[in-house]
Amino acid sequence: MSDSTLAAPVPRRTAPLSHRLLDVAERSWPAVLILVALIAGWEWACAALGIKPYILPAPSAILTAALNDVPGLARNSGITAWEATAGFVIGSALGALLGTAFAYSRFLARGFLPFIIAANTIPVVAIAPIIIIWFGHGIGSKIAVTAFLSFFPLALNMMKGLQSYDRTVADVFHIAAASPLQTFFKMRLPSALPYVFVGLKLNVTFSVIGAIVAEFVQADRGLGFVIMTTYRTMAMPKLWAAMLLSALMGILFFLVVAMLERIFVPWHASMSTDP
Amino acid sequence: MAEALSAEVRDLSLVYRGRGRDVIALSEVSLGIAQGEFVSLIGPSGCGKSTLLRVLGDLLTPTQGTVSIKGRTPRAERLDRRIGFVFQEAALLEWRSVLDNIALPLELRGASRRDREARARALIELVGLTGFEAAWPRQLSGGMRQRAAIARALSTEPDLLLLDEPFGALDQITRDRLNMELARIHEVTGVSVVLVTHSIREAVLLSDRIVVMTPRPGRIERILDDPLPRPRSLGTRLLPAYEDLVRAGSRELEKGYANV
Repeated sequence: MSDSTLAAPVPRRTAPLSHRLLDVAERSWPAVLILVALIAGWEWACAALGIKPYILPAPSAILTAALNDVPGLARNSGITAWEATAGFVIGSALGALLGTAFAYSRFLARGFLPFIIAANTIPVVAIAPIIIIWFGHGIGSKIAVTAFLSFFPLALNMMKGLQSYDRTVADVFHIAAASPLQTFFKMRLPSALPYVFVGLKLNVTFSVIGAIVAEFVQADRGLGFVIMTTYRTMAMPKLWAAMLLSALMGILFFLVVAMLERIFVPWHASMSTDP
Repeated sequence: MAEALSAEVRDLSLVYRGRGRDVIALSEVSLGIAQGEFVSLIGPSGCGKSTLLRVLGDLLTPTQGTVSIKGRTPRAERLDRRIGFVFQEAALLEWRSVLDNIALPLELRGASRRDREARARALIELVGLTGFEAAWPRQLSGGMRQRAAIARALSTEPDLLLLDEPFGALDQITRDRLNMELARIHEVTGVSVVLVTHSIREAVLLSDRIVVMTPRPGRIERILDDPLPRPRSLGTRLLPAYEDLVRAGSRELEKGYANV
């Protein structure tokens, strides 16, 4: 008898959809309960304690303000979402390319990394006006600010990921006479993916922040623009609506990246230890 | 050796150039391995047994001496995928199924999907992993992972199978089983095998010849013939000749440990 016959049967790679949905429901109901209680308590406190609307508008007032300008908020959310997405993709792609170069060239890594890390410490609010001068008043400059933010986390994680392959697996590829290109695509890049997704998850939330900060500096549309104009006119319920929409956008983007991680890195150990 | 030689090592020396002083890992080692022969390399740490194996697999380049496998250089053999190598860790790709891991060398060689899957399925049967084709590596036990690594090493039908303490991290019962699997695979495929091991019992159980090595500098102390009847089984260990060989091997080994 061989030891393989003693092992447990292999579990299915993916559970059926209905099971997974049930699983999601089971894990998320405490959070939903807390959210509902929070909104109810907030609504009640605003009325019972007489909190002034410009300090803390009631959820119903925020909802009313949002419903009064659905097309406007939708259009401006769409613009910010576009800026954030385009900047995220461009910045991440450039970061991945540079991280790859660093992983393969010690000279480039040692030469550029100190400056990259120094540039990474520049606050985005300080660099945004300069980038807007360079890239003009349109959407391009907002994309550039977002790309600037997305660039560094991915460059560093890509480099670290590409260097983190198993040395014995590298010997296996050497014995099998793999070409450098085969070694990159079949070993080093897959080994790097868990790190890449750490970088992408950082970037995706930064990207909404980057787009809105850029809009604060100069813009005539976007959620950042809505927040600045409602702030000047003290239209607080609508400001709250725009703020909540930007938070929702960040969460949605994060979930998209988390979903991509499940598709591309299903083998990774952290996948099976979700709370 | 009347039969054709599978591999030949002549006056091989390998020096690791360190800071300040050099370390002589191998000093003037000569060894011939016959076609289909099972040779074990044994000795204390630092005796150069793994270094010798890595030279045969073209993972290290010797400082002096010649190595030939089937009359060619290890590099030529490796580039033709005529060498199989199994390491102490299975070193499977965690993002590939067992089947795709075993088919990896064929995939790198450019074999069609149909050919490499057919070959991988045959190997899965040979190493006793039937039913685990679609499993992820992390779902396998340590012994099963090594079975997959052996299947992968055999996928390109190598001239020479090199094993670097492949069962060192396994428990005794799993190790016994895999020893028997290895003996059977050797009988069935007729591949020439070089096994690096720390266990004289494992070496005696499996080998045609046992090469006892000593450290500082790494060299061959003695080569013992192992004429125990084939096919080998766990019952081989009950033969008086088995115990005699284990004793003889241990005595030779102790010479190496004396100056550790």
